[in-house]
Amino acid sequence: MKPIVIILAAAALLYGAGPEVAYKEYKLKNGLRIVLSEDHSAPTYSIAVTYNVGSRDEKPGRTGFAHLFEHMMYQGSENVGKGEHMSLIQNNGGSMNGTTNNDRTVYFEMLPANQMDLGLFVEADRMKSLVISQANLDNQRNAVQEERRLGVDNRPYGKTFEVLFDTAFDDFGYKHSTIGSMEDLNAASVEDVQAFFKRYYAPNNAVVAIVGDFKSEEVLKKIEKYFGSIPSQPAPPQPDVAEPQQRGERHKIIEDQFAQIPRVDIAFKTPAANLPDVYALDLLTDVLGGGESSRFYQSLVKEKELAVQTGAFLNQQRGTSLAIFIGIARPGKEVLELEKAMESEIARLQTDLITEAELARVKMKMKTTHYARIRSSLTRAMELSDNAVSFNDPGRLNTFEQQYQKVTREDVQRVAKQYLSEANRTVVVTMPKAAPKVVAK
Amino acid sequence: MKIFRVSGLIACATLVQAQVPPAGGVDKAIPLSKVERKNRAPLSKEVLRVKLPKPMEAKLENGVSVLILEDHRLPTVSVQLVIQGAGGLYDPADRPGLAEVAGAMLKEGTTTLNSKQISEAVDGLGATLFINAGFGTADAQVTASGLSENFDQWFGLMLDVVQKSNFPDGELQKLKQRQLTMLKQQRTQSAFLANEMFRKAVYGTFAASVVTSTPASLQAMKSEDLQAWRDQRYVPQNATLAIAGDVNAKQLIAKLNRATATWKKSDFRASLPASPKPVEGRRIFLVDRPGSVQTNILLGNLAMDRANPDFIPLKVLNRIIGEGASSRLFTNLREEKSYTYGAYSNLLASEIVGPWLANSEVRTAVTDGAMTEFLKEVDRIRDQKVPASELEDAQHSIVSAFALSLEQPTGVLGYALTRKRFGLPDDYWDTYPARVSAVTAEDVARVAKKYIVPGNLQIVAVGDAATIKTVMEKYGPVTVYSADGLPVVH
Repeated sequence: MKPIVIILAAAALLYGAGPEVAYKEYKLKNGLRIVLSEDHSAPTYSIAVTYNVGSRDEKPGRTGFAHLFEHMMYQGSENVGKGEHMSLIQNNGGSMNGTTNNDRTVYFEMLPANQMDLGLFVEADRMKSLVISQANLDNQRNAVQEERRLGVDNRPYGKTFEVLFDTAFDDFGYKHSTIGSMEDLNAASVEDVQAFFKRYYAPNNAVVAIVGDFKSEEVLKKIEKYFGSIPSQPAPPQPDVAEPQQRGERHKIIEDQFAQIPRVDIAFKTPAANLPDVYALDLLTDVLGGGESSRFYQSLVKEKELAVQTGAFLNQQRGTSLAIFIGIARPGKEVLELEKAMESEIARLQTDLITEAELARVKMKMKTTHYARIRSSLTRAMELSDNAVSFNDPGRLNTFEQQYQKVTREDVQRVAKQYLSEANRTVVVTMPKAAPKVVAK
Repeated sequence: MKIFRVSGLIACATLVQAQVPPAGGVDKAIPLSKVERKNRAPLSKEVLRVKLPKPMEAKLENGVSVLILEDHRLPTVSVQLVIQGAGGLYDPADRPGLAEVAGAMLKEGTTTLNSKQISEAVDGLGATLFINAGFGTADAQVTASGLSENFDQWFGLMLDVVQKSNFPDGELQKLKQRQLTMLKQQRTQSAFLANEMFRKAVYGTFAASVVTSTPASLQAMKSEDLQAWRDQRYVPQNATLAIAGDVNAKQLIAKLNRATATWKKSDFRASLPASPKPVEGRRIFLVDRPGSVQTNILLGNLAMDRANPDFIPLKVLNRIIGEGASSRLFTNLREEKSYTYGAYSNLLASEIVGPWLANSEVRTAVTDGAMTEFLKEVDRIRDQKVPASELEDAQHSIVSAFALSLEQPTGVLGYALTRKRFGLPDDYWDTYPARVSAVTAEDVARVAKKYIVPGNLQIVAVGDAATIKTVMEKYGPVTVYSADGLPVVH
């Protein structure tokens, strides 16, 4: 048998701190990258196919297109009928879905181990021969617009993040939302779909990761059989999402038709997810806003009673990212007071070191988060393929734990000073719309 | 190459030939919606059969029932303590939310730790600790998870909050303030408004109709009420403790007996109120949400409790009509009509009689079309025999998904808990795949006619009343409510 694959790398055990996700990486001649991780503890497997395209690749006037396209991938291909994909997977006990974010689009199935051919076949068939029609596009455009209404337009605080990203970012790639605008969704044409498919849905722009109960050499033969004949395409252009340095606070107040209570969102630009400061920043957001022992909860919710809910997280992206801090005000309290209190908690990270106990707590939490991340074959497959596409490093997930444990209190203070500055800050305050009340009488 | 130690958890899984060969083609009598079947995908004809791993069962000296399932793939443990009689279903009629607040207050202080110390201890151990004693449920559930290396510590903390919580008044006052805000916030969400109205519609004045507390009830709750509730109802003889993960089951029993030695049994037993009958006569409840760009439609009626032998045929029916992305409702309302992002149905059966219900959020302009299609699908499942291939697909799907769900030990333990909680036979899950596979098209037709009666549907629509009221009136008598849940009188 001719060598159909080139073994690129085999992950070695890096350290002994906890279970490792061992994997092997291969590449077909058409450029399709493959990551395989055997796990025979249950008779199941998961497949994740990640394409190197997300909403950051969209052009002005076509926002929402990458996600709309994701819906088109379920509308049939040469050998799989419209709607047949979902029924094939579900009728065989599996689960499936697709999801798009700023940076990538991923499709996944989880199936019994004996249905390996099914998962590979449906993924290869649509990569090879998607059926694109005006009727299917119109139909999925409507479904996506309902998704936007459900998630954004018809719920309290639905538009807050859209405004926050739009205000914080200057570069179009991350400035606009993945769900897109109604106008741009309406403008999408069949020609757009065809061009997008040809450009981005090529084997050399995708990574297939499979985790579960299989023998690698057998699966590789199957992958070659199903995916090997799909022609590669010229490498698509990569968007330049370089973000200019922010030089002053940006502050917006928006009205929300459904919200009853004001909410404050404070964001700071932070480096791309694969840069070293990310670990200290992630722990920092946890000290401030993660769970009931966090500073925000103890100070703003419990002690001062300025807020009823608080939170914080690092929105990690391939390019410039955001550390986001959220507080939902307690009725009757001045929202400005909440904003000031959040800012003063943030400032305290710059002047004082966090305590040893706080650092130990958030590190411990990261340890259990890691186990949750690798618990199911599906999350492992998604992590492997996502990290291969985004950072050319499928095994990144095996390094997280060690990186978090290395962070010191001084690191947290340093990143707080460096990134959580006033000039780098964006604030969005969401206020209830003062509308005439409908009287129930 | 293995990444985990093999646990043997599901090592007994085997592949056996399916008893029912997959249908060669589509039954042509009635078109299967508009799913286009090319039938070219390579399918294994073997159905995955698994022998269910059996958790170890034991009873502690104080009466706690214990289920333990070892799984050493990861160095973690998850614990669920289910206490019958402590859920919101037993709230006094004038104190809605008492069970929920009592549950939430468990973490707000014990005789040895204050609220902050508890949260720091839980987070410091990398553990999680949640208490849920929500509305309409018969039990309170205390769930915790964490690392096996410090299991004794976080498990001890979990037992402490159950036994030694002391409901400090200062914390109660703060909790009330947060809850009062929640009462306001939840009314901004159409899903809450739909669920609240639907529960009222099908349960009337029965305890399960309540889905929220009220400001008056919250204000009236006192520390001593909550403590009395805990003392009476969080008792070991009514509790089941389910533990899954990296533990040694045999050694654990002695440890559990020691750890729970101070938790004394009583003679308290909660008696379940008798469930109401399905409502007769179709009614429409229109909840006005001015400016809403979608209508949230929720329709159904009471069906059965979980121990009802018709549960399995109705489960198969539900899979056909509304469970997942290949069901009739999803295919029709989303994939063909594109009215919505999703359309589903569900069967909520527990100790008490629960509803079969269907739901979708559709853009306001297609409210009429969506109602028509919902009712069409109800008629179709009742009046037309389910094609053999569609029935087989549904059965195959349920049986295979069941096998797949056993990948995680918590899934296996969940099934054991369900069996105990609802008094199902010992071999219930062993025979479950065979009984799902034995359901006939006639069975589906029979349960459809019995449990899904178009003339008795209770239909809730949450949306912009000014736009959809006349539309809804085409489908039955309409009463309009405000977002506060009160009838709007003109």
